[in-house]
Amino acid sequence: MAAIRTRGLTKEFGDLIAVDDLDLVVEEGEVFGFLGPNGAGKSTTINLLLDFIRPTSGSVEVLGIDAQAAPATIRERVGVLPEGYGFDDPLTGRENLEWVIETRHADDDPDELLALVGLADDGDRMAKSYSKGMQQRLSLAMALVDDPDMLVLDEPTTGLDPNGIQQMRSVIRERAENGTTVFFSSHILSEVEAVCDRVGVMSEGKLVALDSIEQLRENAGGQATIHLTCASSPTALGESVEAIDGVASATVEAETLVVDCLDPSVKVDVVTHAAERATITDITSETVSLESLFNDLTDGGRDAEAAASEPTTDGQEVPQ
Amino acid sequence: MSVRAVARRDFRAARRSRSLWAVATVLGVLMAVLGYSFQGYQTTPIQSFQQLFRQLTAFLMLLLPIVALVASYMSIAGERESGGIKFLLSVPNTRRDVFLGKLVSRLAVVSAGVAFLFATAVAGGYARNGVLPLELIVGVFVVTLLYGATFVSIAVALSAGVAARSRAIASAFGSYFVLVLLFVVPGLSIASIVRWVHQTLLGFERNVDLYNAITYVSPLTAYRQGTNMVFPESLAQSVFQRPEEAGELPAYLAEEVSLLVFAVWLVVPLAVGYLRFRGADLE
Repeated sequence: MAAIRTRGLTKEFGDLIAVDDLDLVVEEGEVFGFLGPNGAGKSTTINLLLDFIRPTSGSVEVLGIDAQAAPATIRERVGVLPEGYGFDDPLTGRENLEWVIETRHADDDPDELLALVGLADDGDRMAKSYSKGMQQRLSLAMALVDDPDMLVLDEPTTGLDPNGIQQMRSVIRERAENGTTVFFSSHILSEVEAVCDRVGVMSEGKLVALDSIEQLRENAGGQATIHLTCASSPTALGESVEAIDGVASATVEAETLVVDCLDPSVKVDVVTHAAERATITDITSETVSLESLFNDLTDGGRDAEAAASEPTTDGQEVPQ
Repeated sequence: MSVRAVARRDFRAARRSRSLWAVATVLGVLMAVLGYSFQGYQTTPIQSFQQLFRQLTAFLMLLLPIVALVASYMSIAGERESGGIKFLLSVPNTRRDVFLGKLVSRLAVVSAGVAFLFATAVAGGYARNGVLPLELIVGVFVVTLLYGATFVSIAVALSAGVAARSRAIASAFGSYFVLVLLFVVPGLSIASIVRWVHQTLLGFERNVDLYNAITYVSPLTAYRQGTNMVFPESLAQSVFQRPEEAGELPAYLAEEVSLLVFAVWLVVPLAVGYLRFRGADLE
């Protein structure tokens, strides 16, 4: 049974299609990173999973249960760190936590949970007066109550300091090791890399990629680029390197030869080949960065759109 | 059933509201002073106490809707605006639990407030007159609770249908205007509007009891008629304007019909509000 299964899930807000015919399956026990730039439809999808909002068409199942038919049954088994929440009631951090424990009929120790998220000394303060990062920690503690079968975390690292992010990751890992399914969203790819088995990338309401990070890298061309700086301009070398199996292209930039390889393993061949024929003074190598991969998949998100709609300064220049 | 969980949380938050305690204190003192200072003209102590309660109902008639609306208009809209609703619905609660839990809690808050005001007024009246007409006190108290409950229900129902404070305020104001002010301001009352439409615009014959029946749809009128059930005949208010020749009061204008009016106002807005809330996108 899948932990999450959506079929043709669509949500429209007026003219805006926030989620567009989404088919997504998250397996039980996996840590799934749900990625995408702001406004890609991640939170809308999560709100649909939790029955905070209703689909325009299509269906959502969580742990095999229809999200609209039995939301309370799902909530019994799912811990949630929602997005856009607020602590408005005049209750302390511990009281908020105690309320969740009581409502879930759980037997967690509130102090233990507070300590786990780094709020051991702040339990008696009003949750309203917490900083954003502290509220985020408290929300995580509330999501962890009663050790749910699945955690749904919407942008859990928002507002957290590096230490908090670290703590969040180790909690996610620990729970995942005990068999908890974790579904969490983020707009920062590197954050997901460290903990996720699989990632799904959303862009403009559609799922544009669904795979493990390694596989995504490979599919994105699996390109590896190597820069060889030589003692003298390596023009002749460029042509011979291009003939090597697995080399996509080789270009000469002054004293540097830039070689794009189809596979990282080809880099060794290139270096061996070049070392026999020229004096190499420096070597730098890079794999496709996660950020550029992410940008490729989502067409640069909102910033690309903004950039495209504004005329660039270059375009305005009139040739004399 | 986690109606209890929602209600308990909400009630706990209400108990910590300083403004709520401030309002209760001010009104409580006012009631005690009113109770002690009120004295009828050439009356026995018991008549004096009865007249005090008659005055009390006239006062609550206008005040209680404000108290109930203010206490409830943000009950659900506030959670939707702040995002607190996401926590309420992240534990095993349904929307029905949230709706009913909020309703129960706010009913409890307003009922406790009414009980407190009655206690202070009775204390003042007893200190002055030395009598305690329990039957009257309990009777007026019950009708007043019903009256307060209708406005709590209306406010919670309206609150469930909107997601922002501004709209919640507008709907609370609107309901006070439509359900209270339109029935008490002479010349701008629903009765005179209907009379004008019926007679001047449509050219019908005058039909006093039709206008009276329309006046009776308000919880305010129901409260005035309803309290007549518990006061002695001599202190009964004439709620409806009827000429001598109109004869006996028709059955649909009877005092007991007020209970039906209350029941409709308790049930219909809640049903509509719940259905809207159930289908809403809570973002």
